[in-house]
Amino acid sequence: MSYLKHPRLFTALLSTLVLGILSGPSHADTRTITTAFGDVEVDGRPETVVTLYEGALDSAIAVGAQPVGAVITRGGQNVANYIQEAAGDIEIVGTPGETNLEAVIALQPDIILASAWTSEEQYRLLSRIAPTIVLDVPAYQDDTWKRELTLFARALGRENRAADVIARVEQRAAEVRAQVEAATDGGQRDTALVRWMPQGPLVMAEGLFSATVLASAGFEVDDADLVKEGRPHSQPLSQENLSLMDHSWIFLATLNEDGREALAVAREAPAFQRLEANDTDQIVPVDGTLWTSASGPLAALAILDDIEAALK
Amino acid sequence: MAVTPRSTLASSALTPPLAVAVFFVVATALASLLWGAGPVSAIDALPVLIGQGTEEARFVVTELRLPRLATGLVVGLALAVSGALLQALTRNPLAEPGLLGVSGGSAFAVAIAILLGASSATMTTLVAQSGALAGCALVMLATRSRGLAADPVRLVLAGATVTGLLLSLTSVLMLADQRAADEIRFWITGSIAGTPLSHLRAVGPSLLVAGVLVVLVASPLAAMSLGERAAMGLGHKPGRIRLLVIIAVALLVGGATALAGPLAFIGLVVPFIARALAGPDIRKTLWLCLPIGPALLLLADTMARVVAAPSELPLGVITALIGAPVLLMIVRSGRMPTL
Amino acid sequence: MTLLTARQRNASANLGLALALMAAVTASLALGTVAVPPEAILDVLAGGGDTIHQFVIRELRLPRVLAGALTGAAFALAGCMMQTVARNRLATPGIIGIDNAATAFAVASVVGTGIAVAPSAMALTGAAAATALAFGLAGANGTRGYRFIIAGLGIGAIAGAVTQVMLSRVAIDAANAAFPWTVGSLNARSETAVQVLAIGLAIGYGLAIALGPALTTLQFSDPVAINLGTRLKRTRALSLACAVLLTGLAVAVAGPVGMVALLAPELARALGRAGKVPLTASALAGAAFMVAADLVGRLALAPLELPVGLVTAIAGSPYLIWILVKPSSRSLS
Repeated sequence: MSYLKHPRLFTALLSTLVLGILSGPSHADTRTITTAFGDVEVDGRPETVVTLYEGALDSAIAVGAQPVGAVITRGGQNVANYIQEAAGDIEIVGTPGETNLEAVIALQPDIILASAWTSEEQYRLLSRIAPTIVLDVPAYQDDTWKRELTLFARALGRENRAADVIARVEQRAAEVRAQVEAATDGGQRDTALVRWMPQGPLVMAEGLFSATVLASAGFEVDDADLVKEGRPHSQPLSQENLSLMDHSWIFLATLNEDGREALAVAREAPAFQRLEANDTDQIVPVDGTLWTSASGPLAALAILDDIEAALK
Repeated sequence: MAVTPRSTLASSALTPPLAVAVFFVVATALASLLWGAGPVSAIDALPVLIGQGTEEARFVVTELRLPRLATGLVVGLALAVSGALLQALTRNPLAEPGLLGVSGGSAFAVAIAILLGASSATMTTLVAQSGALAGCALVMLATRSRGLAADPVRLVLAGATVTGLLLSLTSVLMLADQRAADEIRFWITGSIAGTPLSHLRAVGPSLLVAGVLVVLVASPLAAMSLGERAAMGLGHKPGRIRLLVIIAVALLVGGATALAGPLAFIGLVVPFIARALAGPDIRKTLWLCLPIGPALLLLADTMARVVAAPSELPLGVITALIGAPVLLMIVRSGRMPTL
Repeated sequence: MTLLTARQRNASANLGLALALMAAVTASLALGTVAVPPEAILDVLAGGGDTIHQFVIRELRLPRVLAGALTGAAFALAGCMMQTVARNRLATPGIIGIDNAATAFAVASVVGTGIAVAPSAMALTGAAAATALAFGLAGANGTRGYRFIIAGLGIGAIAGAVTQVMLSRVAIDAANAAFPWTVGSLNARSETAVQVLAIGLAIGYGLAIALGPALTTLQFSDPVAINLGTRLKRTRALSLACAVLLTGLAVAVAGPVGMVALLAPELARALGRAGKVPLTASALAGAAFMVAADLVGRLALAPLELPVGLVTAIAGSPYLIWILVKPSSRSLS
């Protein structure tokens, strides 16, 4: 049979070939991904993607995949605000803690990107539905999100996009860093990242995703050694110890829709009023679903936007 | 106590234990001003008491520890008195707002209010007291219809069942909204950290009303402990007395819960100690509860701050860890004094 | 009422409850996010059907329904025995601290306190430890009277406080991961735990039936029971041991699901003949209640799930309040 007799088939084959060359050789072959539950083989470029972890949703969208299912963000009814538009009309298949397996099956995914919290029993069932990636990347390190992004991209057959995405985030961080350095004095960039809870503030770890983004933008994040190794945040601080988070800048994360409201509540506490950042009005209320729950390149860009806005 | 407090005091051996108890409340109050989870140590705090000390020490002692002391005094007093009243009313030494589900009802009501976005202290107080009243009513209905009062364990079982149920229902509420869940989760463990004085002011009037009620019912309650017939012979109306006691308990427990969340076992332990010191007369018990309740609560709160510095343990956890062994001890000793 | 009609009444109660269980199971197999038509269920059960239906029914719904029915039956049977022994319909294993202790141990495993044992094994350990402690503290009186119950209450309170400390001191995400263990859920159960429960329930049910006649005499006062030839101490000890075993195994599967142990025997008594301890009927009622509650939990907020323990609490609360305040009282009061 001659290809010329079937021009449409020929075009299709040709375009596949061209696309294949453009997007690199990786997508057609079988890749082995090392996961927390052993090696997982993935073929080609999975079309239907379900993410059960916010960082996976972020990474997948960043490298050009369009996941069809995701879990809600902690404290919300949907995926996090910052990614809602990019995620589009996405099916909700559970909460970060509990996955509705039937909802996952209904989507008939080619691949499932799950969180490091996935239990072995859940994994066993998920992996029966589709190859399931539960990453085993050390948490709360400077490069955790980059390593997650690279591995998720590889699983999705889009490895070559990861480096571009990382470069884009780093470039943007450098831009914001220049603005931060222009707008603040050298000794005035010490920062605490906290979540205001009714029982007292949680001081976020220096290795927490948004803290590393703050650091990449030139802030010196300090958790005052309150956070135990491998934990995302401290235990709630006694009001008597608020001085431990007394820095030039405080980024105050909250799960409220309106961060200002949370700030107003925090300001009712007399100990809060004594903070240096309160006097200089350098307490920045930020969205907790982005700053304390999310991770990934798109979240980094959104956080950098928040930082830029805070300078004005 | 109601009519002739002085003569009641004089005619008994109440004075020595009362003096000791008052000494203890002063000591624990001092301790709660001197020790905390923060860097201001007792040596830093001591000068503040005579009007000196560093600026930071003055702030910590007067702005943080003093309001907490005030809240602790009020909450401890309210819970101890309500425990004594409930025990006298049900003639059951295990009747306690926490165990009977009165605090649970109150907490559940507040959890709903938090979920609906309530923030004003006055409203929270009102909601908490309504919830406590509902809890009380349920317990009383159960007591009357089933003759539960005769069997201390049945009443407590009923209370524990209701409390467990309310906790589950509170968990349902927590599913609905994460922000509220964080707040509720903190709140239902019980704490007096950071309770602003404005809340104390909001609770104040209703606690005053409760105080007046307590003064009114003390003597009739004592008479009722001799049997309802005897009380009626003395011209008391048991039905009305019971109602007044329930209202007083609801106001006290609701007020305390609005300030500190549901705290179990204070209402059990304190009247137990008071009875051990002064005998079963409810009037004497009440007198002794006034200092012992706050003393125990302040002791627990100071422990809550010190053991886990620089953070704090929930106060409700400490009271449970102190109170539950006392409950076991009461059972173990086999001394279930009938009232 | 003649003996014959009474027997018929019990038999028809059991039959009715068995039918209710069947209905709940069928509905649970058919309903969910993935719609499976009734004829497809039969296909799958017969070994055919398309792969999605096969997976959904065989891997997801059937094990879950099975776990629900087994835990429900175990909770209810344990509740029925303990209520009879304590002569108090509110004396369920959950109230006397077994649930709380199991939860505390399971949470310790989930939130990462360095304990590597699986949550379900920890839950079982907790249940056993609490009961042993309650027995120990109740002293010479053993299982009799209020001491055991109050000791259990106290232990439960301490275990609850310890759980609170753990939840308040770990990362928020870890606390969330432990949430199902604090309310009771069938979503994250361990298969081994279900198998162990199945064996335990078979043994427990056999023991319960063997104890049945003796338990029936326990509904009268001690002297009457002794006159009827019942060995009180032995009956009480065996019944309690059985109840604790069943509860511990069930909590290890589903966490502290409330109300089943209280309400299922209640329902069984209401349907059956007064005077006989409705062991089989309780187990059937518990299984049906649990399966139905889990189905509601799966459907109510779909695609999100409501843990089964919360459904039983919501469904059970009106009935509990009714029990507490209703004027009349039956033999178990």
